[in-house]
Amino acid sequence: MDWKGSKESADAWHMTDNLHAEQGKGDPFAAAIRATRMSMIITDPRQPDNPIVFANDAFLKLIGYERDEVMGRNCRFLQGPNTDPSSVDRIRVAVEDGTDVSIDILNYRKDGSTFWNALYISPVFNDKGELQFFFASQLNVSDRKRSADRIAADKDRFEKAVKERTAELEAALEAKTTLLHEVDHRVKNNLQMISSLIIMQRRTIKDEAIRASLTTMLERIEALSTVHRRLYQSKDVSRFDVADFAKDLVTDLLAASGRAEIEPALELEPIIIPAEKATPVALMVNELVTNALKHAFKGRPDGTTGGRIGIKMNQPDSHFNIEVSDNGVGMDSATGDASFGMRLIKSLARQLHADIEWRDAAPGTRVVISMPNETRQKGSFS
Amino acid sequence: MTAPLKVLIVEDEALLAMELESLVEEAGHSVVGWATSASEAKTMADSVEADIAFVDIHLSDGPSGVDVAEYIGRKNSSMVVFMTANPKRIPDHFAGAVGVIAKPYTMNGLMSSLRYLQECIRRPPPVSTRPAGFTLSPLFEETLVSAA
Repeated sequence: MDWKGSKESADAWHMTDNLHAEQGKGDPFAAAIRATRMSMIITDPRQPDNPIVFANDAFLKLIGYERDEVMGRNCRFLQGPNTDPSSVDRIRVAVEDGTDVSIDILNYRKDGSTFWNALYISPVFNDKGELQFFFASQLNVSDRKRSADRIAADKDRFEKAVKERTAELEAALEAKTTLLHEVDHRVKNNLQMISSLIIMQRRTIKDEAIRASLTTMLERIEALSTVHRRLYQSKDVSRFDVADFAKDLVTDLLAASGRAEIEPALELEPIIIPAEKATPVALMVNELVTNALKHAFKGRPDGTTGGRIGIKMNQPDSHFNIEVSDNGVGMDSATGDASFGMRLIKSLARQLHADIEWRDAAPGTRVVISMPNETRQKGSFS
Repeated sequence: MTAPLKVLIVEDEALLAMELESLVEEAGHSVVGWATSASEAKTMADSVEADIAFVDIHLSDGPSGVDVAEYIGRKNSSMVVFMTANPKRIPDHFAGAVGVIAKPYTMNGLMSSLRYLQECIRRPPPVSTRPAGFTLSPLFEETLVSAA
């Protein structure tokens, strides 16, 4: 910067304290600048090291120095150890280039205390475009800075807290998932063991009636097994597709009976029920289908044992309907295990708030079960 | 009549292994060995010849069934079928296994699976339908489709 330039600026003395105070005091603009609450100074870049040539009272009050302690000095005495060097650089570059600059900078008072200074510096040129002075105003923005800092700190703290909480929840979810898989694994293994025990025991028994009874028990356990196998296959462990289950069950029971002359007729709409209803619904369907298999196709006058077992599932409204039908010999008087099966069906129907109806389908039997399906009513289908 | 199968059982639950052995034999096949751990299974795979190895994922030395499947797969001596209550533990590529029978299986489900596997091994492609609860690996499914 060429501070050795022209010194004959006409109005420089108007604003200087030390040289032309009397004239300055007579100038209303100078008087205003002296008295304003806004801290202001003027420096002279034409003198060595760009010293302060004017400072108003607000400036002195802001920094805590006496006038004679600041006059003739470069402003850098306001900087301190925590002043950002890059801010100092920006000011230096602006002064060298003779451009204006607006910056928040940390300054030090005489007593060593600090304040945030919203500094604005602008060059003053004469008519010839020569740089005469720098005019600088200071505003203490420590409060604004503090609250901005506090907001930033709060934000950081909140973000950290949210991150920590999220990590905790994720860990908890993972632990829960692991636990669920572990329990699921054990339930399935135990169901497998229960059926294995029944099969083993059945092998040792000669009496046909007892064997048949164990077979019925095995079928019921296996219906539960099929439910559990299906239950955790899907991603959503709280829902259960009854139609898929029914298909598995009927295919399995028919194949197990070894009676190729009986044909399945399935009309299954996909129906989702809450998981807690899966077991009672499954047991009920199992009873109806095994019943039909055992009783519907024997004792025909012509000696044939073939036929059709039908399962229909649909949900025309908020109700879910299951229909199990056969074209066999018609309803039998329930005795022995069949009467236990009947009680089982009726109790499960009560648990499910289901209406159950036996109809003579001539030929054969049709059982219709109808129950409310809240899953649908709540509109929580996804 | 197709030739019966030789079966290796890798299962740490004695009760389940015992019952599986009975069912395999009732179906006319033979069990050539029963291993409860991965190391036992690998030794056994080296010493006996089997057409099928039924491998549980969870063994007495941890979740090492996938390891066993890979080992047997590299030897290329037997078809591996996982038998597990935790099918989600099976990697997407099935570690060389042809499929999985999900536990709990039904007695008929197992018998049907045996029949189906016998057809796969003795005269592919199989004519009977794939039983519920038996899932094929993507690779083996492709092999069957191209054999058909």
